[in-house]
Amino acid sequence: MLTLLFILFAGMAIGCGLAVVAQRNPLYSAISLVGVFISLACLYVMLAAPFIAAVQVIVYAGAIMVLVVFVIMLLNVEQEERGRNRLKFLVPTAVVLAAVLIAEVAFILFSVTNPTPAVSNIGLSSSIGTQLFTRYLLPFEITSILLLMAIVGAMTLARRGGLLSNEARLIPGAQQLPRSLVDPRAAPDDLRLVETDSTVEAGHLLGIDQRNTPKD
Amino acid sequence: MDTALDIVLKFAAITVAFVVVLLVVAYTVLAERRVLGFIQGRLGPNRVGPGGLFQPFADLLKFILKEDIVPDKSTRFVYVLAPVIATMAALMTMIVYPFGPEIRIPFTSITIPLVVAHFDIGLLYVLGITSIGVYGIMLAGWSSNNKYSLMGGLRSSAQMISYELALGLSLIGVIMLAGTLDLAQIVDLQSGWHGTRWFILFQPLGFVLYMIAAIAETNRVPFDLPEAETELVAGFHTEYSAMKFALFFLAEYINMFTVSMLATTLFLGGWNVPFIDTFLERGTFLFGLVSALGFLVKVIFFLFMYIWIRGTLPRFRFDQLMNFGWKILLPLALLNIFLTATIIYFFPNF
Amino acid sequence: MEPQLSWYLALSAVLFTIGVTGVIIKRNVIAMFMCIELMLNAVNLTFVAFASFFQDVIGQLFVFIVMTVAAAEAAVGLGIIIAIFRNRESLDVDEASILKL
Repeated sequence: MLTLLFILFAGMAIGCGLAVVAQRNPLYSAISLVGVFISLACLYVMLAAPFIAAVQVIVYAGAIMVLVVFVIMLLNVEQEERGRNRLKFLVPTAVVLAAVLIAEVAFILFSVTNPTPAVSNIGLSSSIGTQLFTRYLLPFEITSILLLMAIVGAMTLARRGGLLSNEARLIPGAQQLPRSLVDPRAAPDDLRLVETDSTVEAGHLLGIDQRNTPKD
Repeated sequence: MDTALDIVLKFAAITVAFVVVLLVVAYTVLAERRVLGFIQGRLGPNRVGPGGLFQPFADLLKFILKEDIVPDKSTRFVYVLAPVIATMAALMTMIVYPFGPEIRIPFTSITIPLVVAHFDIGLLYVLGITSIGVYGIMLAGWSSNNKYSLMGGLRSSAQMISYELALGLSLIGVIMLAGTLDLAQIVDLQSGWHGTRWFILFQPLGFVLYMIAAIAETNRVPFDLPEAETELVAGFHTEYSAMKFALFFLAEYINMFTVSMLATTLFLGGWNVPFIDTFLERGTFLFGLVSALGFLVKVIFFLFMYIWIRGTLPRFRFDQLMNFGWKILLPLALLNIFLTATIIYFFPNF
Repeated sequence: MEPQLSWYLALSAVLFTIGVTGVIIKRNVIAMFMCIELMLNAVNLTFVAFASFFQDVIGQLFVFIVMTVAAAEAAVGLGIIIAIFRNRESLDVDEASILKL
């Protein structure tokens, strides 16, 4: 019975894993990856780790992959085209070498003795919680600081521009602007001038709402 | 593993739970239309059957017989997969709720617990499956190849993942009080004492936060901007018709039902009816029946609150909604955890 | 017979190898990122299998930490991908192999 379940979930995991690599549309890869995560969660339940299984579904399948699917939808990523200027032998070589690696690992794994499996109680939330808050408290706290770093980093990366404050206004007339304000790819100390012919054009370039500028 | 009798009992339990859920949801749809009608000064549908009681079956017939339109340029596989994911995620949470105590079938000696599956991580399981439900909406919005659907889908899923945080955090106070994630044990801890040990008395702030987050999580008014008809046509299910739309509709109401059941289990004492101990003794069939009915009454109370709020409040704008979720609900939930932890530390009275 | 430890480790090795193949073959940056997550999950499976068969909870705690780190990495990595997309308008890794805009 357990063997049957293992074969089912392992087959699902490997099938979805192959689908992740073989699909050309990244959205289908993402959906297959969610399938991998869910089958791995079922395997964790078989391995007496129900808490880790639930956390896997909540964190990986429910949060990280939602973020990835969001990004795929927002950036409107298309399918990969067939290999244009790639080395033609790369894909078959990768597959052959992967098969060799699997054969090596399988040989090593099946020539050692196995420990006896036993039904255990170690995966319950109470035992994990006890260990996490007493003996392994330091990694836990450092992980929370790591998450704080990730939040700050993600928010910094997501901000657009920002050289001009929200209260910036344009004084009417023909403008001369430093290039660094106008072109986001120029260096911040690039002071070559950009000449505009009217206040409206300068407003467009800087992204300032013209209705807030004072009239003569 | 188990004997054949256990497997048969499990299947019977799953079937009964399924039928009960579908019936309650069907009549919730009818009740919503009637109650909204009364709030708005009109009668709801009352033609089909006595007082409109057969209306859900008429609706079902209509959904089955309608023409199924699939948009031309949509990705077919994902388009069909999305309502399936939404409905599956909504239905899969049914199995961990305890509908009643252990009952003994009369004339036999079989005792069956009135919960389909007894996990010791029941609450985490519910949170996990709710997270999976977001995929149904996102994939529906994307695969319809329609800009209103895409906007509705993205907004709706952004709202759902933001309020999932507040939902989970507001439940941590209850978990700290109960000391376990097992829903059946949480209900057992609230039994006896005739309703004075229900967790709502110990966690009022948590209860309010949970209800607000739950309404946002199920995309209901006042948080239903992504699927409101006046805003985005119909949001992510614009391009769905007939049975697939029925599945989305069903998934939304089943989500409402699930969330109400969770609120009842965690805050209102589950199947505990206050003064039942003086009349019936525990373990008999009648006790179980009355307890299950009590559970149903409490869930219906929550569903009525949902419908009442729908008829009364205006809806949030999307930036107000996100502002509320992140800047007001999340700090309040953290404050709730902090207060609960402090009180438990100083007064270990549980 | 019940699933042995070597079965779980073999499954983990297969998943890891599939992930490595994906990172080498794929040209889309987001797809490569997903194959990296596949590799991380294969390692998680190894940890949990060892924790179960040797009755030590440290394996599961390590999986907890790995998941947290993967979440943090996902957030920052996707932010970087969006920033790259804004500048280049394409998510092809082969076109980004010289670091010139």
